[in-house]
Amino acid sequence: MTEGVSEELKEKVLKYLGTVSKAKNRDVARAVEVEKALVDKAIAELAKEDKIEYIYLGTSYIQLKQ
Amino acid sequence: MADRDTPLINNLEDGPWPSYVKEIKRAAKKNAAAKDLLGVQELSFKDKITHWKHGGIVGVTGYGSGVIGRYVDVPEEFPAVEMFHTMRINMPSGWFYTTDALRKICDIWEKYGSGLTNFHGSTGDIILLGTDTKSLQPCFDELTEAGFDLGGSGSALRTPSACVGPARCEWACIDTLDICNNLTQEFQDEMHRPRWPYKFKIKVSGCPNDGVAAIARADFTIIGTWRDSLRIDQDEVRRYVKNGFDIKGIVTDKCPTKALAWDEKAQKLNLRADDCVRCMHCINKMCKAIRPGLDRGATILIGGKAPIIKGAYLSWVLVPFMKMEPPYDEAKELLHKIWEWWDENGRTRERVAELIERMGLKTFLRAVDLKPLPQMVYRPRANPYVFFD
Repeated sequence: MTEGVSEELKEKVLKYLGTVSKAKNRDVARAVEVEKALVDKAIAELAKEDKIEYIYLGTSYIQLKQ
Repeated sequence: MADRDTPLINNLEDGPWPSYVKEIKRAAKKNAAAKDLLGVQELSFKDKITHWKHGGIVGVTGYGSGVIGRYVDVPEEFPAVEMFHTMRINMPSGWFYTTDALRKICDIWEKYGSGLTNFHGSTGDIILLGTDTKSLQPCFDELTEAGFDLGGSGSALRTPSACVGPARCEWACIDTLDICNNLTQEFQDEMHRPRWPYKFKIKVSGCPNDGVAAIARADFTIIGTWRDSLRIDQDEVRRYVKNGFDIKGIVTDKCPTKALAWDEKAQKLNLRADDCVRCMHCINKMCKAIRPGLDRGATILIGGKAPIIKGAYLSWVLVPFMKMEPPYDEAKELLHKIWEWWDENGRTRERVAELIERMGLKTFLRAVDLKPLPQMVYRPRANPYVFFD
């Protein structure tokens, strides 16, 4: 189980997404070097905050909200 | 807008069976999108190609699932279906509705969409066909207000599905409806925020008759079973035989492991319990005389899927017997382990069965902390589809 998500982690995720056109959660976790379950949670929170969005191109990706 | 001539699809109105063309024409009387939908279908039949594309960015705030973006590639010709997105709504376990609930869904959909529905999609969701991007959020808001939520789509957990189970069937060895509802509530995040290499399906059948075809369709298949012995009412068996029932031809000769034998002299149906593979055949044929055992749980299977990257797979046994009692922690823990391994190692659009085949069952079992068992047979996990050229 994961603990709470810090604002710092969410900032890291957003920063990474700013460098790519789209990404899978797994890629984000590797890039920010944080446990994937925690990154999943951060991404879910960012989606609810409407800061990222999902895109489907044969498989699902996330990207910064356009 | 003038009515288009649609000679090709009109053929689909012939015959005594229901016709979706007839239904869309009814909807077209009050909805421009339904009218254009007929035109697109006619054009596709004429050109022998689809004029639909799907994907891209559509959704509602916080969700990456439940909305499938669809667009027509000839919007200048069919402007009312330029955007014709599908919304998948999570159905209740067992598909039990009140008429009030159904009316509510239809009223909302007539307000925001084409009014066309599909009850239900293959996975079991309520399918609402055809709306534009700007209507998605208000439609979703009203649906949630009415107590509904989106189902799964994309590279996520798809809406879990179960047979009607104990609500209507005496053979249900597990509470399929509760399991389905419990897993759905537990895995909301996995369903609504796609994060995996591809889709993942959970289906629950109450007995080995497998009423939701979970073996052929689910990555994680839960099939109700029992680990003690069949219960046989010998008086009822004798009654069947006395009434002319061909117990040898219909039951014992067709028992796949010959676990059952009819003793004509003693007028008794004998069972070698260790040989019984719980296929349900004898129960289906002599339902008044034979019943499942009482020590009940589920067999967990892994890897059923239709063809995409590789061929179709039937799921195969992963855990021969698991007690299925709320809160179903053992099954949930196993699911988490499977997802973690698949997400870490899976290629894009690779289902868990394909990954197991690529990396080996041994590697998979080690990752999910399971020991190899004889029940984990590779065969007959063969392609269930037969194609005739």
